[in-house]
Amino acid sequence: MTMQSMHDKILELWPELVLFAGTCVVMVMGLSPKLAVRRMCAPVAGAALAVAGVLAALTTPEGRGLLPGLMPFAKVVVSVVGLAMLLLLDGTVDRTEERLIASGQPFNPLRTNRAEFYAFFLFSLTGLMLCASANDLIWLFLALELTSLPTYIMVTISRGGKAGARSQEAGVKYFFLGAMGAATFLFGFALLYGATGTTNLQAMKEFFAHAGEGGGITDLAIAGMLMSLLGVAFKIAAVPMHLYTPDVYEGAAAPVSAFLAFTPKTAGFISMILLCSTMGWTHGAGHSLPDLVRLLLWVMAALTMTVGNVLAILQSNVKRMLAYSSVAHSGYMLVALVAGPGSGRGITDNGLAAILFYLLSYGLMNLGAFAVLACLERRPGPDGEYREIETVDDLRGLCKTQPALGWTMVVCALSLLGFPPLLGFFAKVPLFTSAIAAGEIVLVVILGVNAAIAAYYYLRLVAMPLLEEPDATLPPAARTPFVSRPLAAFISAASVVVLVAFAGTLMREAGEAAKPPKATGHSNAAK
Amino acid sequence: MAILAPSMFLADVELSNYLPIVVIVLMAITFGIINVGVSMLLGPRRKGKVKGVTYESGMNPVGTARKRFNVRFYLIAVVFLVFDVEIIFLYPWASTFAHLTPQSEESLLWLGRIMFFLLTTVVAYLYGWRKGVFKFD
Repeated sequence: MTMQSMHDKILELWPELVLFAGTCVVMVMGLSPKLAVRRMCAPVAGAALAVAGVLAALTTPEGRGLLPGLMPFAKVVVSVVGLAMLLLLDGTVDRTEERLIASGQPFNPLRTNRAEFYAFFLFSLTGLMLCASANDLIWLFLALELTSLPTYIMVTISRGGKAGARSQEAGVKYFFLGAMGAATFLFGFALLYGATGTTNLQAMKEFFAHAGEGGGITDLAIAGMLMSLLGVAFKIAAVPMHLYTPDVYEGAAAPVSAFLAFTPKTAGFISMILLCSTMGWTHGAGHSLPDLVRLLLWVMAALTMTVGNVLAILQSNVKRMLAYSSVAHSGYMLVALVAGPGSGRGITDNGLAAILFYLLSYGLMNLGAFAVLACLERRPGPDGEYREIETVDDLRGLCKTQPALGWTMVVCALSLLGFPPLLGFFAKVPLFTSAIAAGEIVLVVILGVNAAIAAYYYLRLVAMPLLEEPDATLPPAARTPFVSRPLAAFISAASVVVLVAFAGTLMREAGEAAKPPKATGHSNAAK
Repeated sequence: MAILAPSMFLADVELSNYLPIVVIVLMAITFGIINVGVSMLLGPRRKGKVKGVTYESGMNPVGTARKRFNVRFYLIAVVFLVFDVEIIFLYPWASTFAHLTPQSEESLLWLGRIMFFLLTTVVAYLYGWRKGVFKFD
């Protein structure tokens, strides 16, 4: 890649630079002894995200790279969902510490986590945006790790008091398994480099295109691609790399679990799309992925859907249930990845557009479900220690005790299920149509069966708050004192309903994002 | 776009190029063994209480080493690492920068990049300062 194109590349990174600047400010502000300054962490982070989103929306893709339209769309999605996440994250850390300071204890910067928490939140989203603009394997690796490393720490510090031990356990599990995943795809990247002699994705695509005309793609390259995809599967929590999901989601505080279900998953899918498009999917020309790669994705999709849904049925803890459902949703999106971009003309047969649209929808509706959990708490013991709502039984009769939150849970669970008039339905339709257009009938059948299995446990999340009576033996769950958390819940519930009206527009935008670069033969983009 | 020439793959590497390294490693090992061996054979041996004491640059050692150290030592160590790594990155940058055309757009870009990198360490330093890493009380 020439110096000039590197220069252009930096100009396209304004959203990331703004987020990074926000990170630096937040990191220092959160350590101020003044409460008013400390409180500004979240607004500053929000402002950085909003500015980054606007800058990303103003960027015009220049028609270079593997998927030139991907960058603005993905970055706007990240900043929109990120803003909703930010509302939900309020009050996650330092709750006990702030109470002690309010009661007269001196401020000790070593004991607070607020600065780190918001800084890592922004760092992680910066990494996610960088994933979308990746054009190089090394860039992609660094971006993926920048997305994941902060989340390990966010999980660990997300809970205080007695529950802190659980979040620390979750953080350690997440970190070690994450390191294994990273090692796997780094090895894969190394093999890809060994096979092609380049780390540039565009150059790699041309290498493979030439190799396809010659003796075919070498085994070394195939092995590299398989390892890369398997490693990245950790990020999206696909079988067989899903084992950490329930434990980590359960151990982390509910707002952080919601963050985990969106951020690494989006980074993982964007990386998978980029990686796969180096090796196959020369749009319109009818090249598909090499058989082994396709087989891996096929098996992964089928297993991920089925394992996720079947294990979700067995859970009584809502966070574990939503964790397994997050596994299952990755499986749904993998179906569209197997389908690929289709002919590149329409949007209903473009699997990549379907994935991008689904990521946005899933991010919003899943946020709503976790937000309801984050909004409720109980103080069972005399020690005054609050405890999160965790089991399905805790939601019993919620529509009567807390109507707004109860209905939020009902709407979001129905949307996650894919119930017709809601956003989840309109997100799932393109997954089906793209897979049908690609001729993946068996996968479509498995997807349909899985949607039916999912109904079993999502309907429990609907029936418990809606139809059951409140449990009289337990003290009623109280609303959390942080007002922005219910706000996040209502926003996501509202968007699940309202965005349906804009589903067509969003889908078209996603289609634009997944559009191939203008065909210039074996282009001169890579030098 | 740089496609590797076949000769750069592992199988074609001339192993004899590594001979000097092997020789140096062997020399180092032999030197160590000879030193220890010869002083074991020839050196006088006087045992005593003072001789067995841990060497602390001439001071008499006090207390045990197996105690809890203040966490600030580790914080300082981590901050040190930040600057240590920064310097490691400055060396290759400096050696490449000297080859660029002065005042050219390329060299300005390189300068801008390293300034950005240095800025990140300044932020890290600020963070450490606010966190109270440098405060000993």
